[in-house]
Amino acid sequence: MGLVLGGCASSLFEDLVGKTVEPLNQSVEALLLNPQKPVPEFPASAIEPDALIVNTFDFTPKIDINTFHITIDGEVKNPISLSMEQIQQMPLTSMTIRHVCVEGWAAIVQWGGVRLRELVTLAQPKENVKYIYFQSADGYYESWDIASALHPQTLMAYQKNSQPLSIDNGAPLRLASPIKLGYKQSKWVTRITLVSHLFPRRGYWEDQGYEWFAGL
Amino acid sequence: MDSSVPSQASRFRPRPNQAILAKIFHWVNLISLCLMITSGLQIYNANPVFGGRAGWQFPPIFLLGGWLAGGRHWHFAAMWLFSLNLLWYAFYIVITRRWKHRFLGSNDLKAFQKSKNKKRVTYAWHRLTYTIIIPILLLAILSGLGMYKSAQLHWIVDFFGSWQALRIVHFTSVPIVVIFAMIHSLLGLKVGGQRLLESMFW
Repeated sequence: MGLVLGGCASSLFEDLVGKTVEPLNQSVEALLLNPQKPVPEFPASAIEPDALIVNTFDFTPKIDINTFHITIDGEVKNPISLSMEQIQQMPLTSMTIRHVCVEGWAAIVQWGGVRLRELVTLAQPKENVKYIYFQSADGYYESWDIASALHPQTLMAYQKNSQPLSIDNGAPLRLASPIKLGYKQSKWVTRITLVSHLFPRRGYWEDQGYEWFAGL
Repeated sequence: MDSSVPSQASRFRPRPNQAILAKIFHWVNLISLCLMITSGLQIYNANPVFGGRAGWQFPPIFLLGGWLAGGRHWHFAAMWLFSLNLLWYAFYIVITRRWKHRFLGSNDLKAFQKSKNKKRVTYAWHRLTYTIIIPILLLAILSGLGMYKSAQLHWIVDFFGSWQALRIVHFTSVPIVVIFAMIHSLLGLKVGGQRLLESMFW
């Protein structure tokens, strides 16, 4: 019966089903999220150097690291713009975690970078801030709930497997976190914007129908 | 012996009767499993467990959702139907003590060893089959939860050893359920004929 349903109406109702159940699933996901508790990490020997597949929605932007600045703005008291040199002077956090793609594959990766919460703290967000947007140099855009963004293992990474981050993997600066699916982890991030509400555009894949929370 | 097992006088006995709650469970389980399998195969095709992107994909006739996001929407909607149905059914069989009388018991094990009655042995096989599928369905839920929330429920991934092992276990529930459905139908037919089969649905 389901086979008939599947064959005849393969994409019918998927949008409706998604919109109906996503609020329930999202509240369960938010409930499951432990915003302060780090996810257990892996030893360096567990790293799978070839398992991380490079996925890009469009093109690979070339960014001059010497002139690169990342902007942190929005509903903040102190909007700032930082160079890579300034970012690299901040405390380095390293983690070896499982990167999980929505497609089903996963890779154990070491990421090194600065905690996003430290960048957010510098910008001094106003109290009503609930969401955070990421704009990338290739036009990719994403939005996260603020609790996941402030998680101690949510990094703006510039190292992968103890090497400087490659351009394919998002250099100079990308999101990396064990608590979100891969499509939430924007590469080539140039602007971080803190906001009190979500805009109609919530993320490149989300706007095409993918789940927004995408927590792991 | 259970009332649904035909004796020699079966022709003169009324049609086997199933509890309405058992029928509801059976229907919801059947429908939700079809939804879980078809949407699951849609997700599978995005990155086949065997062979990755180069791996063999299931043809569209078996798929539900149309694309990866649609498959996930169906999968994570039907999971509630599927798992909550099993949950209330668990309470139901404990409260009514059906778990003692309607599932594999020591009497069936004795039948396997000693019974000369072929029908009794077939009946024992029937009960064995539909008893075993319950832990397999629970294992599918456990492995699925591990994949769905691999960070917050990381202990599930650890329990299965590796990500690939977890994916294989979760996927294996598909062929097992399909084979089960065939054997279960055949055994039901053998045990109680068309009348028993129909009694489970209508």
